[in-house]
Order: sequence, then C-alpha cells, then structure tokens
Amino acid sequence: MTPQASPGIRPAPLLGLLALAVLALTGASMAVGYAPLALGQAVADLLAGQKSLPALVLYELRLPRALLGALVGFSLGMAGAAMQGLLRNPLAEPGVIGISSAAAFGAVLTFYSGLSASLALALPLGGIAGALVATVILFILLGRGASTTTLILAGVALNSFAGAATALALNLAPNPYAALEIVFWLMGSLADRSMNHVALVLPLMLLGWVLLVSTAPALDALSLGEDTAASLGFDLGWLRARLIGGAALAVGSAVAVTGAIGFVGLVVPHLLRPLVGHRPGRLLVASGFGGAMLVLAADIGVRLMPVRPELKLGVVTALIGAPFLFALVQRLRREAM
Amino acid sequence: MNLPLVLRRLRGACLLPIALSGAMASVSLAADRPARIVSLNMCTDELVLRLADPAHIASVTWLSQDPRNANMAELARRIPANHGLAEEVLGFKPDLVVAGTYTTRATVSLLGRVGVTVREFGVPRNLAEMKAQITEMAAVLGEPARGQALLAGIEQRLQALAARRVDRPLRAIVLRPSGFTVGRGSLVDEILTRAGLVNIAAELGVESYGQIALETVTLGRAEVLILNETPDGPPSLAHEILHHPVIDRLGARLKRVALPSRLWTCAGPSVLDAIELLVRAVEEKP
Amino acid sequence: MAITASGITVSLGGKPILQGVDAQVRPSEVLGLIGPNGAGKTTLLRVLAALLAPDRGSVDYDGAAARELGRAMLARRVAFLAQGGEAPAALSVEALVGFGRLPHRRPFAEAAEADRQAVARVLALCDVESFAGRAVGTLSGGERRRVLLARALAVEAPYLLADEPLAGLDPQHQLDSLQLLRRISRGGTGVVVVLHDLALAARFCDRLLLLDRGRRVADGPAADVLDDVRLAQVFGVQALRGAHAGEPFLMPWRTLDNEATP
Repeated sequence: MTPQASPGIRPAPLLGLLALAVLALTGASMAVGYAPLALGQAVADLLAGQKSLPALVLYELRLPRALLGALVGFSLGMAGAAMQGLLRNPLAEPGVIGISSAAAFGAVLTFYSGLSASLALALPLGGIAGALVATVILFILLGRGASTTTLILAGVALNSFAGAATALALNLAPNPYAALEIVFWLMGSLADRSMNHVALVLPLMLLGWVLLVSTAPALDALSLGEDTAASLGFDLGWLRARLIGGAALAVGSAVAVTGAIGFVGLVVPHLLRPLVGHRPGRLLVASGFGGAMLVLAADIGVRLMPVRPELKLGVVTALIGAPFLFALVQRLRREAM
Repeated sequence: MNLPLVLRRLRGACLLPIALSGAMASVSLAADRPARIVSLNMCTDELVLRLADPAHIASVTWLSQDPRNANMAELARRIPANHGLAEEVLGFKPDLVVAGTYTTRATVSLLGRVGVTVREFGVPRNLAEMKAQITEMAAVLGEPARGQALLAGIEQRLQALAARRVDRPLRAIVLRPSGFTVGRGSLVDEILTRAGLVNIAAELGVESYGQIALETVTLGRAEVLILNETPDGPPSLAHEILHHPVIDRLGARLKRVALPSRLWTCAGPSVLDAIELLVRAVEEKP
Repeated sequence: MAITASGITVSLGGKPILQGVDAQVRPSEVLGLIGPNGAGKTTLLRVLAALLAPDRGSVDYDGAAARELGRAMLARRVAFLAQGGEAPAALSVEALVGFGRLPHRRPFAEAAEADRQAVARVLALCDVESFAGRAVGTLSGGERRRVLLARALAVEAPYLLADEPLAGLDPQHQLDSLQLLRRISRGGTGVVVVLHDLALAARFCDRLLLLDRGRRVADGPAADVLDDVRLAQVFGVQALRGAHAGEPFLMPWRTLDNEATP
C-alpha cells in the first residue's frame, strides 16, 4: 500500500461525471439491438406520439432494457457498498454472501406457485422477502464485525441453502419444465423485459436507495467501530435496520426481475474506493453509478458479441468478477500475514 | 438432404429402414399382435392410442392424461399411467414397449437386458416422415388396417384443406416459448406452407428451430402472428415472452392466432388439426 | 457541572459486573479508573459514555439524563476513545480525524471552516501533522494511537472518556499521551482514563477511582486511594514509594504471595 492515502476526487464533480457516464451508456444501450433500427426516426415518432413500428421497438423493448440495466446496476452497486460498510469487510457483496440467491429463491417461489400471476407485485416482494431473511441471518451471524473466514463461510452456507431450497421449489412446481427453464433465468439477463417490469420495481428500488443513502454519515462513523460510532451520536439499531432493509429492497427487487447478476457489488466499490478517499459514506452513491455503468456496459457487450443465443449477463459479470474475487482474497491473505 | 424423402416416395407404402442422423430406429416385421403394450413417450402414446385396441394397451405415460399437453387425453385417462421407470414398466408385464429415441437411455437399456421387446421411434421432421411412421407403428402394433385407414383420412383432409387456400399467401411469423421461432425445413414451417402462409422466419434464413428477437418480430411486417403456447398452463418463464407488452401492441395491428403446441410437438396426426386451425384463421375476416 | 453516576449496577450474560457504583467526572480533572482485571472498569466507562444502559442506577450529564439530551447533544458533550482502535487501513489520517467532527456537522453537509480548523488544531496538538496525508494502515502503533486520540479530541467535547489509551505504546508515547491528556484537562475538559499501570495512574491522575470485583473500593487522590493496605488487598502487591523534584511516585515492587526479597 502506498503510504500517501488517496484523497479522492471532490464529490460533486465525481458524481456528476459518473452520472453523465451512466446517461451516455443508457443511450448507447438503446442504440444497440437485434434488428436494424432507425434510432432517430424512432425517437422522433415516439416524441410525436406516433405509434410506428420503430417507435414501438424503442419504447417497448430497448428503453426498458436500458432503464433496467441502469436501475439494477445502481441497486447492486450501492447494496454492495452498503454491505461492505455494515459488515466492515471488502468481500461482502450480495452475491458472495448469499443475499442474491435468497432473493432468487423468493422470486422463484412466488413465480412458480402462481402467486405473481394473480398479483404482479408479489414477484419483487418475494425477492425482497428472500433478501431480507438472508440479510438478517447474516447480520445475526456476523454483525459484530466477524472475521473474513466467518463471512465467507456464512456466505457459502446461505448460497448452498438457498440453492437447495430453489431446487426443491422447482421440483415441486406444477410446471414440469420449471427446473429446465430456470437454469437460464438464474444466470441473469435483461433480455425481453418490459416497461411493466420497470414500473414494478422502480418504487421499491427508490425506497431502498433512500434508506441506504441516508446512512452515509453513520457508515463513516461505523468504520471506526460500533462504540465509537455510537459515541459520535448514531443510533446503531436504526442504522442496521436501514442498511439491511435498504439492501433487501434494492437487491430483492433487482433479482426478482433479472435473475442473479453477481459480483457487481464487489468489483465496483473496490474500484471506486480510492476515488472517494476510502470514505464509506461517499462510496454509496458512487458505487450506485459505477454499478449502473458496469451492468449497462456488460449488457451492450452481450448484444454486440457474435454469440447467439446471447450470453447471460450473470455469466459475463461472473467472468469479470470471479478473478477479481481471487485477487482480493490473495491481497487480504498477504495483509493478514 | 432430400434423398431419403425421394426414396420413400418412390417406394410408396413399403416399410424401409431410414438411414439419416437419429431420425428413426430400425423397424421389425413382427406379425403378431402384442396384447400388453406399454408406451414410455408422450408421442408414441398418441399413436398407440390411435392405432391399438384399448384392451391391448397396458399403460401410457402420465403426461398423456393432461388435455393441455396431449391430444388423446380422454382416452388416456382410462388407462393406467406410468412415469417411465423400469420397475413400473416391468410391473405391467409388457410384451411390447414403445419408446421415443430420447426416452431415458438407462431405462430402455435395462428393459432390453431383461428381454423385453422395445421399439424406439424418433420425431418425424415433416409430413412424409409422419405418414411413414404411422405405417411403421401400425405394423409394430399388429394393426396394419387401422394404419391404412388413418393415413387415408389424413390424405383426404390435406386435399380438402389445400382447396381452401386463398390467392395471396399472407405473411406470418411464429413465436414460441423462450423466443423461439420456426425456420426452414421444420415441421411447423411445412404446416404454415400447407395452410397457405409465408413464413417470415424462413425468409430471414432461420434454420429449423432457432431464436428470434422480439425486435425482429416487431419490425418484420407480418400480417399474421402465430403464438405457440399452452393456454392455462402453470406459470412458466418460457411463456413470459409471449405476454410481452410489445406483442399486445402488435396484436392490435395484425391477426393473432394461438396455436397450441400439443397439436404438433409430436408430429403426429394432430398436425392436420393445426393446419386446419391456421386455414380457418386466415379465412376469418379481420 | 459534572457527569454524575449513582448506584450503577450492571449484569452481562447473567454475571454481575458492577454493583452499586457511584462516580463523578468533573471538569478540568483527570480521573483514573483503576482495578484488577475483571473489575468492571471498561463497563463503567461505557456506562458513563451512555453506550451501555445500567440495569439499575442513573447517569446524568450536567443535571440532564441521556434521554433528555438526545443522541446528537450527548455526542457533542462526551467523546469516547475505544479500546480496539478499528479504522479502515487506507483512510487518510486527516479524514479519520475529520470523522470526529461528525457530531457537529449537519448530516449531508461538507465540512465547514470551523471543522477544518478544529481538525488542524488537534493534528498539531497530538503531533501528527507531519503525516496528515498518510494512510492509517501505514502508521506505527504509537502514531496510530495518537491519531485515534486526535479523532476523539476533534469532537471538542467537555468530557473525554478513554479506554486504555496506552495499550501497546512505548514509554515515550505513554508519557507523551498522559501529558497531553493532563494538558487537555487543564484546558477545562473532564478526562477519564482506564489505566493498568499504577505508577502512571498515580502520577498523572488528579483522582483515582478504584474498582474491585464490580464494587467501588475507593475514590480520591492517589495518595489516599493507593495506600499499602489497598495495594495488598486489591492488587496483592507491595509498592516502593518515593519523591522526585517534589513529585511523589510509587512503583509496585513485589507480589505478596512470595516473600523472596530482591
């Protein structure tokens, strides 16, 4: 580690830059697709209220895909930063520690039981419920700043259990093909989502983001230990509730509509930490934007790559993230010695 | 690619071994009438139910008893069901087992080893292969006469349907679960052609069963949209794509036809029902 | 004006830790909390800092209870320096010390000029200015302790409660830290330190509060509290006493279960 600490970039310009990048990538995502689309014409038609075929493709297919990419990426990035702040460990990430699998289980349960057919909102709520249970369990096991080993073990346990529960649910599902079709869903994808999905998860995600962002100053204090944070005037119980609740809302609804896209919350906070001067509070929104950028870029890549059917998004983020995880583990080992 | 087809046409209704990649297994010239037939595959179930004497059918698969998935569910429900397990099958003391080429290998080889007669049937890729399979199955079941009768009925219907075709073929596109469509050389492509439709996917160069992006479906200038789904089925991710809002918006601009998969997945006689359904949809005034 | 605790009784996990302890923290005074291991010193400190609610008894801060004051006000009045010293390794010294200003800063506002000046003051006070830009993880044990003390001082609270601030420090830094704490108390702050070293406690604390197995045994100036009888009963040691340049000192010399003379 270099002796001089990175002071980071001032927050306003940094966030402004990241936000612009997200906007640019969202636009780029809408320009990429499977059929040649006259983008200019489509936009013009859409704005004029003309329901032409290009406008239809833009509004019903490309726009929701781009929006969801940004929203899901934002949620996963911010939740990763929040979990790392809460558990005070750089390896904490919704996928690694089992929150995403639990959310997937919740979503699978509500989908195949037919619950979400009668109430669309049941799907993201199922995902959120799964994520909530997992986060609470994790906190009970690890809340008081447990070691990395314990963290990873807890994650392995949760992932295994959620995976087994999902397999059981699929086995018992009335649809005999459930186990087959879920394999691809679990790998995560933004393909063929609709504006209905966006409308469904946006309010829940927003609530999650608000809860998470509200913890920024407290998260800074928490990095100095629980007693110090309490002595600096922060209500630890309320802090934990917001972090757990916010992460569950954000991750749960994201996974419910796109499947499990992992490693975003691991890679992005790690890359952005030096840019925010290693301050956990400032990392939250920055990681949100960073996550959105990563997911959008990966999704654009998945459509541009000549592989058909398109690669699953979760596979791409895993290919990027797993080596990253290895490198992080190595670094932590070296530091511990 | 068309050589076996030509050969079969040349030899007419004789039985032939088909030599193409995994198409059909070799057939037997058994003259006896099996009296305890067990079928392990939903598609062979259908043929067995159509051609054999119900008293001679010991068991069909449980899948055939669901009217959403199977075409002879009424009849199938009166017959004991099996789940494809070797022990179950042996319990029925079969003198003939018919299975699909994709039926569990382990089960099939086990049955073979204990000396049960097993006949395997693949999935026909077009109408000609379907007709040949009916002849083959009828022979295996010892009911050649019923086979002939079924074929004659099919021929009659085909001719009647061909006579109803309109002048200008409409442009159609098929959308299946998980975004699959039907391309050149597939059975459904043939169904479309015989119903007097132009398959846009074939035009775009899709071979057999490939995926098609919703964007392509939307921009393809179709006049008929054929949705391939199992209505009122249990929740299925694969079917989500068929309910995408863009399909709804498109549906307002063109004819939507629901084509249940069960009519053609087995490439059996029910294919004629599929062709008729499409012909009627085309005839309907918008 | 004081932090007044009366009748503090605490049980943790069924075990009684403190029983009916009274204590008072006064401004401009250094109070040393001493006692053998397991006497309940850290627990008492945490109760005084309102980090732990006692099962029985009460604490008031200049006459007001913790709940009346509210978290924000309490945070500005009482600064706590924890035992462990957890901190993100890559955080800069300046940023870490800056966290001490959180009780004074509005939730999402950037640091104000007053905050920056306070940070600069304590950096100088604790002699850590020269590595203000360095990452906390690259500091030596002593440097890190001074930085953490600076963080607590940055709160600029009238009361400072420190839990074993000398642990792991070399002699120079131990003396430096205690001199600094005494200087700060002379500026008006009421300081409480949990200490193990009796010699240092006797020298640098204005008053000592001696705890033994959860009970308050004595409370007063070092000379009164650390008499031979107490040293023998509570610590099981005998001390040598002396004076240097008018300042009395004591040094634990011998344990009382072995009579071997040095």
